[in-house]
Amino acid sequence: MAVKAFSNEWAKAFKDEVNRSSVYKSAGKGWKWTVGLVVEAEPDKHFTEAKGIVMDLFDGEARDIKVGPASDAQKCDFVITAPYTRWKEVATSQLDATKGMLQGKLKLKGDLPTIVRYTKASQEMTLCTTRIPVEWPDEK
Amino acid sequence: MDVDSRAEVVYADDEPSAFASMLGGLIEANVRSRPEKERDFDSLKARVGIWVTDIDEGVTLEFARGKLIVHNGLKTRRTLTIRTDADTVMSLSNLKIGLLGLPVYYDEVGRGVALKLLTGKLKIDGLLPNVLTLNTVTRIFSVQ
Repeated sequence: MAVKAFSNEWAKAFKDEVNRSSVYKSAGKGWKWTVGLVVEAEPDKHFTEAKGIVMDLFDGEARDIKVGPASDAQKCDFVITAPYTRWKEVATSQLDATKGMLQGKLKLKGDLPTIVRYTKASQEMTLCTTRIPVEWPDEK
Repeated sequence: MDVDSRAEVVYADDEPSAFASMLGGLIEANVRSRPEKERDFDSLKARVGIWVTDIDEGVTLEFARGKLIVHNGLKTRRTLTIRTDADTVMSLSNLKIGLLGLPVYYDEVGRGVALKLLTGKLKIDGLLPNVLTLNTVTRIFSVQ
């Protein structure tokens, strides 16, 4: 069943997908930092308020993934920021997250060598988002 | 030109591209945190172009013995030019450095890079006369 984009149900489904992934479990070994995703509002797409996704990732496991205000996500060790449409493109496999970061479509804040070292883990996390059936607010 | 007084990395363009900022930031962080990379950085003089084929963007890294100038796009008089896709650029920065400071091409990441080279998905112009330069750039660039 589809879940609403960037809702608590979506966060739970995302966490479950990450923890089901043997690729992430292996590629994320040694990771010990929090990651925040900031989804900027786009009122014309019926996404009216910015949201923050706070991911507590540790050693190949998603311990918690929560949706809250953007300000919570901005406090994380690594912060990736993009408008709603970009995140939708990532979650629907229309935009590769690595390319998006190199092109500045997704803005990354945090220690670059660390995130580059975990490229495979971040790519797998992106794949996890694509496996969640989502109800998008601009497609209602 | 934007110059950070603490940094050895400067940007030639008023508005560095996201790719230029990312590569410049990555190299700066590597050099500052690892003395062995700083030694390589201090000795390297070369102009290295990197063109990412699947996003149609590139940079020129002008290493000038202890200083790096990052240019948007490919500039002239390059010592080496690396042309490949975004994933391979990330793989290049994940190459392990082994004995004698040589990149490791026999682990999973290294084999992937070697295969891209053999199949033409990674092209390096100017490679043969500049193998040592490429090794030095790889050491500076690698986060491993």
